[in-house]
Amino acid sequence: MATSGMIRTGWMVGLALALAVPAHAQFKVGIPLPLTGAEAKFGEMEKQAYELAVEEINAKGGVKGQKLVLDIQDSGGRPEVATSIVEKFLTTNNYPIVIGEYTSQCSYAVAAVAERYKRPYLVVTGAADKITQQGWKYVYRLNPPSSLYNEGIWSFFTAVAKPSSLAILYENTDFGTSTSQAMKSWAEANGVAVKAYEGYQAGAVDFKPTLQKIKSLRPDVIYMVSYLMDASLLMRQARELDINPRLFVGGAAGFTLPEFLQNAADASEFAMSGTLWTPQVKYPGAKAFFDRFKQKFGKEPDYHAAEAYAAAYVLADTLKRARSWSPEDIRDALSKTDMMTAFGPVKFVAWDKFTNQNRMPTLVLQVIRKQFETVWPKEGASAPYVFPVPRWRDRK
Amino acid sequence: MSPEVAGQIELFLQVVIAGILIGGLYSVIGLGMSLIMGVMRIINLAHGDLMMVAMYITYFAFTLLRIDPYVSLLIVIPAMFVLGALIQRYLINAVMYVDSILPQNQVLLTVGIGMVLSNLALVAFSANYRSVPVSYAGKTLYWDIAIGGETISLSFNVPLLVAFAIAIALTMGLFVLLMRTDVGRMIRATAQDRDAAALMGVNTRRITIITFGLGSALVGAAGALLVPIYYLFPSIGGPFTSKAFIITVLGGLGNTAGAILGGLVLGVAESLGSAYISLGYKDAFGFVMFVLVLIFLPKGLLGKSKV
Repeated sequence: MATSGMIRTGWMVGLALALAVPAHAQFKVGIPLPLTGAEAKFGEMEKQAYELAVEEINAKGGVKGQKLVLDIQDSGGRPEVATSIVEKFLTTNNYPIVIGEYTSQCSYAVAAVAERYKRPYLVVTGAADKITQQGWKYVYRLNPPSSLYNEGIWSFFTAVAKPSSLAILYENTDFGTSTSQAMKSWAEANGVAVKAYEGYQAGAVDFKPTLQKIKSLRPDVIYMVSYLMDASLLMRQARELDINPRLFVGGAAGFTLPEFLQNAADASEFAMSGTLWTPQVKYPGAKAFFDRFKQKFGKEPDYHAAEAYAAAYVLADTLKRARSWSPEDIRDALSKTDMMTAFGPVKFVAWDKFTNQNRMPTLVLQVIRKQFETVWPKEGASAPYVFPVPRWRDRK
Repeated sequence: MSPEVAGQIELFLQVVIAGILIGGLYSVIGLGMSLIMGVMRIINLAHGDLMMVAMYITYFAFTLLRIDPYVSLLIVIPAMFVLGALIQRYLINAVMYVDSILPQNQVLLTVGIGMVLSNLALVAFSANYRSVPVSYAGKTLYWDIAIGGETISLSFNVPLLVAFAIAIALTMGLFVLLMRTDVGRMIRATAQDRDAAALMGVNTRRITIITFGLGSALVGAAGALLVPIYYLFPSIGGPFTSKAFIITVLGGLGNTAGAILGGLVLGVAESLGSAYISLGYKDAFGFVMFVLVLIFLPKGLLGKSKV
């Protein structure tokens, strides 16, 4: 097995080298993405965003006269598959840089491989803090780490909501736990009582017993971290039980997707959530990206798509500045990145335990009249926030 | 009475109501498995996956043909009966009468059928979560009660109430069928003693086909009722198979009346557990009960085992 694999690998490297000479006019980018499996929905959206960005870049003449070509492979959202895809990218294909993946788990696995092969890897959506806390020299991250997803919410809490108590309900996954843990520490540091701190297993049918318990504790604000479908069920059932805190806040993910508006319908009204990006942000090109994406693919892009779109531009910018297209030179250029994208400012810095980590302001959005509106920070707001939110029975 | 005490009473009543309502649905899911268990002495581990198939039928009936999930019961029940009957006729019966190394190989066969169903659904419909956006999904009735100067407000989710009512109707229908019709008598006879039933002229092979069809139709109905409340995806079946299994054991393996009680008990136990202990352990409560019942009440909550 091993021998035949090596022979095949060697043969393919040879073939790749032979082909590389005439195919001089293109630069291939390896991207692992979940195109099947539970995260397929997000993988598909990111793939489209990469394609849109590369199309635009190539239409303007590509990079140093060469066209960017995407090599997107399906990881199924499984770390072991993502790992083997990237090993192939770095050995057989001999790509000098890898970008992408969706989940934290997969991004973390890919990062370890890239570091081992000493090839730069740009993380685009994986949010777990640990990915950029390993002191790795070849791993860069475009999106903020999950513990900072709440920054916008905190600033809103401090300036406006001033909650006296919180109830925290979270999905007990990597992302859910680390995001709500960060919220709990913030509350404790700021003298906000945490009346409930409940983890749940994704996919529960009935949240009513727990929600009823939260209702009986009368928290000032309810904070929830959930993926897609749970977010809708939570809001629907909170309305059924007539739970009336002054505010419902979600920790990004499930609370920021267009499906949330459809599935939760009226129950989503006035739900607030932290997010990284909205179509209303004032970054140059954001609105144009949103419109072009919607027109081309017939659906609205969310922040994941914006991240992917921006990543392609960061790559193009890096390649333009790199002295040569060797992994080392590309890495040097990536380190010096300081640019504005449709997703926001990108600059890789180090602080606390983080290295090569982009730091950018996070936003707060709120569902107002069945639309996501950016409500915080005030400078970039598209609509004034609604706080405190009306009681369920007083609506309509 | 202080607001705190009223709040505690409201919490308790609301939690019990939530448990009973979801328990009604669990009962229907468990009933089908229990019926099959009673007649064929096998646990159908494809049970949840059959429910998944019914949910997709309901989903497509709604999205393609604009048929309301409750109306689609008229399609789902016969369709699932036929699917179940075909599975029994061509797959399970083919194994049932063959001597083999493993006496329980029909059970293994149902595991395989379940895997095939969920993977076919994955290929055909992708892993996307889907839901049926019916207008009444979040509709709720409120019941305000004044006790000792405080008002407690209980809420009843309409789709769950409807599901509960239909669950009762289906259960009663099943009992009429089992008690009052010839087919029902033959099913009961086969469950009691297959060989004796065969000697009395009952075509037991046909009865197993009808029974598996009925079991599938019941879980299919439960799936359709779940659609307005929940959402669907290809691997949704697994957790519901284990719920059905717990219910079947709680009820006393193969006891249909016990299955109804088992469903309600499971619903209330999960509900109380997640309110007073922790939601993270919700699924654990069912299994703890399962083990306790197996140890202390091996014949189920009603203490006897029959259809």
